[in-house]
Amino acid sequence: MKKQRETKHPRLSYERRKSLCGYGFISLWLIGTITFFLIPLGKSLWYSFNTVTIEPGRLNMKWIGLSNYRAALNKDPYYTDYLVDTLIETLWKTPLILIFSLFIAVILNQKFKGRGFARAIFFLPVIIATGPVFKIISGDMESTGNNGSAKFSTMFSTDLVGDLMRFLGIYNISPRMTEFITAVADNVFGIVWSSGIQILLFLAALQNIPPSAKEAAQLEGATSWEFFWKITFPYVSPFVLVNLIYTVIDSFTNPLNKVMERILVFQNQDINYGLASAMAWIYFVIVLAAVGIVTAVVNKFVYYEVE
Amino acid sequence: MDNTVNSALKMKRKAHKRFSEWVWVIFRACILIGLSFIILYPLIYMISCSFRERSDMNDPTVMWIPRHTTLSVMRETAEAMDFWQTLQNTLLLNIGCSIVQVYSCALTGYGFARFSFKGKKLLFGIVIMMILVPTQIISLPLFFQFRYFLGSPDINLIDTMWTMYLPAMTANGIRSGLMIFIFRQFFKGLPRELEDAAYIDGCGPFMTFLRVMMPNALSAFLTVFLFSVVWYWNDYYISAVFFNNTQTVSTALYNLDSILAQRIFGDATIQLDAREQVVWKQAGCLISIAPLLIMYMFLQKYFTEGIERSGLVG
Repeated sequence: MKKQRETKHPRLSYERRKSLCGYGFISLWLIGTITFFLIPLGKSLWYSFNTVTIEPGRLNMKWIGLSNYRAALNKDPYYTDYLVDTLIETLWKTPLILIFSLFIAVILNQKFKGRGFARAIFFLPVIIATGPVFKIISGDMESTGNNGSAKFSTMFSTDLVGDLMRFLGIYNISPRMTEFITAVADNVFGIVWSSGIQILLFLAALQNIPPSAKEAAQLEGATSWEFFWKITFPYVSPFVLVNLIYTVIDSFTNPLNKVMERILVFQNQDINYGLASAMAWIYFVIVLAAVGIVTAVVNKFVYYEVE
Repeated sequence: MDNTVNSALKMKRKAHKRFSEWVWVIFRACILIGLSFIILYPLIYMISCSFRERSDMNDPTVMWIPRHTTLSVMRETAEAMDFWQTLQNTLLLNIGCSIVQVYSCALTGYGFARFSFKGKKLLFGIVIMMILVPTQIISLPLFFQFRYFLGSPDINLIDTMWTMYLPAMTANGIRSGLMIFIFRQFFKGLPRELEDAAYIDGCGPFMTFLRVMMPNALSAFLTVFLFSVVWYWNDYYISAVFFNNTQTVSTALYNLDSILAQRIFGDATIQLDAREQVVWKQAGCLISIAPLLIMYMFLQKYFTEGIERSGLVG
């Protein structure tokens, strides 16, 4: 009996020690996350149910329940419109970004002269696109009349896209179509510029495809089309999910998007912290729901190699 | 007879294959060159604009190559942005925060990767939350937290570097959720035998981390560090919330319009139209990203290859 306890005791303490070490490793983060993340998060939720007024040295709260939420959804003339706009934009841009970046990653994974250089260029947006330079590149030019496809045309002082359509004989067949093509041409810029990280991740995934799979496919005489759908795509599919989530979060949390700008108006100019917090929380819950749904749906189609 | 038909067929197939390969090469080249142009276009435009005199903006014959080159636009913009002081601030903040943040995130990631403890799932859920929650939601309470630090009205950390350093030190800086996640994946991918050997030799877990894991993780450290530098460099939102008087390169650029309006366009003796003002704006953009671009040129392979090796894959 006594012996048994002796043998049992040190093992338990070893496990205990290990779990204590685990806490030790994350303790720094835990302290930080409570002070710089969880408490502010809770406070902002609290603000959203209150009228917040500033007094010297403190904030004054007055509980008003859901009024801020109602005001955000019903009374603010812009908020719901911007919300819907942002959602729709994310909805159609995300698949385009994913298809585009997978396509580019497949190309950049092939062997050709100047590949290193091409890769360097395509990853360049990773460095620039998160910064204010991008805001100026993509936004500020509007004030000088250089935007989107028009921007590319200024160097030839003509309407390049329009000319191309006229050349192909499809200009003004229907104004709708002209509009659509111009819109796509306009957005090529935005899509290319927001695909840096996605290309990087897809490329990494492509390089992880085991050579044995390639050899087997070659022996069986697979065409490149079959190879893509039967080999490449299954191996890459977990990364479709990662990239999808990344793209959605990236576009939702971008400080340049309109909802964010609207929230900041109430934070910085109109000083209505309660309303600003309520707007931010509505937005966040939608983002969370979107990410949750996307993950659940896509996870069903993802192929995981058994570990 | 049979043989000749066969070989002729083979030849034909080969020619067909060669032809389609050829078409693909041309198609690929077109796509790559075209898209590269889209990416490089703003940069080329920036460089082209920054070194020309403003009169060239209204000269219809000037597209890319300026007729009158000048360095004075660059000099004026740098002066208006107070560039050297700003750069110094930025580097101090940037590199310091990135170093502490990489270490704190690596520690946390390692803790999540290799130890089991109660509530681990819940705590890791918080890490995922950190990735998902937009900073804009918590920036306001954070501001008040720093304004009255530890609840005391006398400790005001706003406008000090502590507002950036404290979160970075405790693995809560810019995009730290993502960094913890990357480190966790990376450490999970390393073989356990590495540590077991060290434990048997009587090395404590922290020493093991320092002596055994860190040297093995060097390339991951470097990659994450470089990304961290980029993210801190590009951040203007958080800096703008916490700094009123301290200027970083990004906040200076964010306010470029008003800075230029005050320092250069405000001069009533010269009338500048919107097209001419572009010259200064582009110069501002160029000097703001020039340090990043130079860094990228030299360390490009760590950006691109690091991710592949960091274990984020697989």
